[in-house]
Amino acid sequence: MKRALLINAVNPAVGGVLIRGEKGTAKSTAVRALVDILPEIEVVADCRFGCHPTDRSMMCDECLARIEAGESIPRGMRKMKVVELPVGATEDRVVGTLDIEQAIKKGEKAFEPGILAQAHRNVLYIDEVNLLDDHVVDVLLDVAAMGVNVVEREGVSYSHPARFVLIGTMNPEEGELRPQLLDRFGLAVDVAGIEDIASRVEVVRRRIRYESDPAGFAEEWAAEQASLKERVVKAKEILPEVNIPESMLELIARIAVEMGVDGHRADITMMKASMTLAALAGKRAVTEEEVRQAADLALLHRTRRRPFEDFKFDSAKVEALIPGKGKQAS
Amino acid sequence: MMVKERITYPFSAIVGQERMKKALILNAVNPSIGGVLILGEKGTAKSSAVRALASLLPEIEVVTGCPYSCSPYKPEEMCEGCYRRWASGEELPRSRRRVRIVELPLNATEDRLIGTLNLKEAVQNGVRSFEPGLLAEANRGILYVDEVNLLDDYLVDVLLDVAISGINVVEREGIAYRYPARFILVGTMNPEEGDLRPQILDRFGLSVEVGGISDPKERVEVLRRRAEFERDPLGFQALWVEKENELCLKILQAQQLLPAVTVPPVLVELAVEFSLGARVSGHRADVVIVKTAMTIAAYEGRTEVEAEDIKEAAQLVLGHRFREGNPPREKEEDGPAPGAADGEDEKERRKDEGPFSGQGDEGRDEGESGPEGLFPPLSSDGEVSQNGEKQDDRDNGGSPSEIDLPKTEEMVFGIGEIYQVRKLTPPADRILRRGTGRRTKTRTGTKQGRYVRSIIPRGAPTDVALDATIRAAAPYQPKREKAGRAIAIESTDIRQKVRERKIGNTILFLVDASGSMGAQRRMVATKGAILSLLVDAYQRRDKVGLVAFRGDKAEILLSPTRSVELAHRKLAELPTGGRTPMATGLAVALNLLHAQMAKEEGTIPLLVLISDGRANVGFNGMDPVESAKLVAAEIYHSGIKSIVIDTEKEFINFGLSREICAALGGWHFKLEELRGDTIVRAVRKSLS
Repeated sequence: MKRALLINAVNPAVGGVLIRGEKGTAKSTAVRALVDILPEIEVVADCRFGCHPTDRSMMCDECLARIEAGESIPRGMRKMKVVELPVGATEDRVVGTLDIEQAIKKGEKAFEPGILAQAHRNVLYIDEVNLLDDHVVDVLLDVAAMGVNVVEREGVSYSHPARFVLIGTMNPEEGELRPQLLDRFGLAVDVAGIEDIASRVEVVRRRIRYESDPAGFAEEWAAEQASLKERVVKAKEILPEVNIPESMLELIARIAVEMGVDGHRADITMMKASMTLAALAGKRAVTEEEVRQAADLALLHRTRRRPFEDFKFDSAKVEALIPGKGKQAS
Repeated sequence: MMVKERITYPFSAIVGQERMKKALILNAVNPSIGGVLILGEKGTAKSSAVRALASLLPEIEVVTGCPYSCSPYKPEEMCEGCYRRWASGEELPRSRRRVRIVELPLNATEDRLIGTLNLKEAVQNGVRSFEPGLLAEANRGILYVDEVNLLDDYLVDVLLDVAISGINVVEREGIAYRYPARFILVGTMNPEEGDLRPQILDRFGLSVEVGGISDPKERVEVLRRRAEFERDPLGFQALWVEKENELCLKILQAQQLLPAVTVPPVLVELAVEFSLGARVSGHRADVVIVKTAMTIAAYEGRTEVEAEDIKEAAQLVLGHRFREGNPPREKEEDGPAPGAADGEDEKERRKDEGPFSGQGDEGRDEGESGPEGLFPPLSSDGEVSQNGEKQDDRDNGGSPSEIDLPKTEEMVFGIGEIYQVRKLTPPADRILRRGTGRRTKTRTGTKQGRYVRSIIPRGAPTDVALDATIRAAAPYQPKREKAGRAIAIESTDIRQKVRERKIGNTILFLVDASGSMGAQRRMVATKGAILSLLVDAYQRRDKVGLVAFRGDKAEILLSPTRSVELAHRKLAELPTGGRTPMATGLAVALNLLHAQMAKEEGTIPLLVLISDGRANVGFNGMDPVESAKLVAAEIYHSGIKSIVIDTEKEFINFGLSREICAALGGWHFKLEELRGDTIVRAVRKSLS
């Protein structure tokens, strides 16, 4: 889980993570803690959507208009955020509202940004994503696919860019996700409680220490956090230089075919994830080890299934397809 | 939509998927073919191909500034504004531009689709002008509907009306307006998520099925190009620009050649034979085959159609139209009155007449193989057979069933065949609900759905009805301070929309698992039936619950949930044996539904009782059937709708389930009647 989150922190193009698992397995904790290691991004300093200062595809109408008018745009750095989408959120709350009353009284459009606006260039976190209202899911899928949120009411329309890293958690007992939404998540992980007694004890010990003295605890871990953050920033720098050899592409394609996934999104995700993993390891070329790790993360939710099949993912089968070494437990 | 400056992946750089690409290109050459439906797996470049097509299409000449992109040369296809200018002898300003691709989002409102009153103009200047919708934008371009099978019914209806006539007629908010809307309709769907109505299926000229590429070499090529594209989109585009230009030129040449293409009469006959072989109804398929074949010939630079062209065309045309015995077309669906909102409503009403609409208009027949085995059935028994894969063995009676059962009384039966069930639609009601799904029509408090009328809002308005608001404000205009605006609106004028849409139900399956159900392995067929209903429930986003009764008690196997998987598992494990405490079963079901209704406002409960009706355990020594009828009556009075599925098969039918059904005020039918196609067959038989 931590690895999947790290990959997304470095390379949002991987497409988010779905975390499946029982209650009390640190799912939410991990996502919320991600904030601290997310890198800073460059933004238009005074834009309410936090637009990208140079990439025009990530700009809102206002920023575009300013550029077109030849205005020089103030730049600033800010941290990426984790924006939570509550399960009970209404469509209005998610996409934002157009104040129609205002519009018909004055004839002008007033847009109140919603959660999707906040999520632009950030992490959108949905706890219990499988319990989300169906049409909110539809909206999310549309926006995630197009990178633009369009709100329309009574012929008044407003649109703004909305690109985000989608992180969802779910407890499969409560119902499954539709395959479309499932496929929209780049990676997926299953988490379970730890069985090993010593580790369980360690979980409890750390938790108690944290609760009795949060500040002190944070300080204890400050160095480790800093080094992790450093690693993310470095990986981001290295990523554009990472190479993926032909043989690794072949391996990825073979794994995808053998595992019987739908379509090609799995391949593409495996490729991106393995390149990001290489960057995280400080390497300039992808090796079998990265492909193996990426396969686990990209295939879990994509091995072919129909509405009534259980998930069948056999990580041993992936192992068998990978020649060479590097087979220690992940 | 205003996706700005997105660099699209070049069409010619898409690896494989030749049939999909061909179908798209043919439509680009000849839009009158009628669009493409792309069926298939996720992540197979469906959307990429459609988006890429737009940048490939030759530029078109339009009347500058016309919101409908009218052609300056075709007065018969012009919008009112352009026509008036043309008729008055005005020289229309012209310009060239790329063909647009307009994406229709699933949550679009009807207003947005067809257009509405221009609010700003109305309020600021008092001018009644029309704000064109997505259909206007799509004129002479491509209208792309991703997941077209998930589109709300009322939007599909509008889309159909317009696609048929090529004209969008809007009559609302006191303005009548008509404008041209001719577009290439491209839809994608994943059949797992439910079917399309035959009416809209037939509206697509061509269909193709896409799947992932299994050749590892090609898969690697997919990855390599993708990586290159992401690393340097502009450089990648430059790499392919020559290929793109070539293709564009070929399309242009084909367009010019097309009018000269001829078809030998014998080949027209061949086309007709193909469609007869596929047993399609109507003549649309014949016409489309010939048109497509002509376009194929033109694309290949020929002026005469060859037999091969007809064959290739037939493959593209008949795939989605083939079915074993089409249901006879309903007249009301055939040619709906264009546009008029009232007509729409009436049609809806007629469709939903009766307690349950009997005709399964989504009822797809079980497909055998097509003519010459060319066309695999799109789906049969609720399973996608695109890979020729059959349902898991486990589901076909492979569970630890009949053979090794330790207990004497109890047996676990496997699950019988799964099929497409007939349409089960409880009648609409007038209660306001919030929710989603695709079964029952209801008033809705969300902003989704068809606008049926307006009311004065209680509290702050959430969904303002513009037309009604302006009407309410109109009488006061002479007395109000306008501050430069054309009309002054105050809070008291604000009206709110009342909307109607379909939502899912909470379906509680009450299953008789007593010994008598085990006779002649009836439980196998029963489980098959329940699972078929579960598939249906999944596609309509219903919640499902499962209660079984046997021995001396009823057991809640599953509280209402959206997890159909869980229901499936419980069903597979359900043992059969013992006596029949039906009254207890009904009581447990009633309590469960009551609890659900209390917990979730807006729940539409539906009880499905599956039994042979032979109740033999009553309350405290009361007569078993009388006890059951007593609870049944209470269920009826709680406003819970019921369906009783009678599994009784013997010649001597006790008819007990009918009695209980009467007490429930429910709908009764035999297990065998559950299949969608039986209904269709019965209708056909009665007509012949």
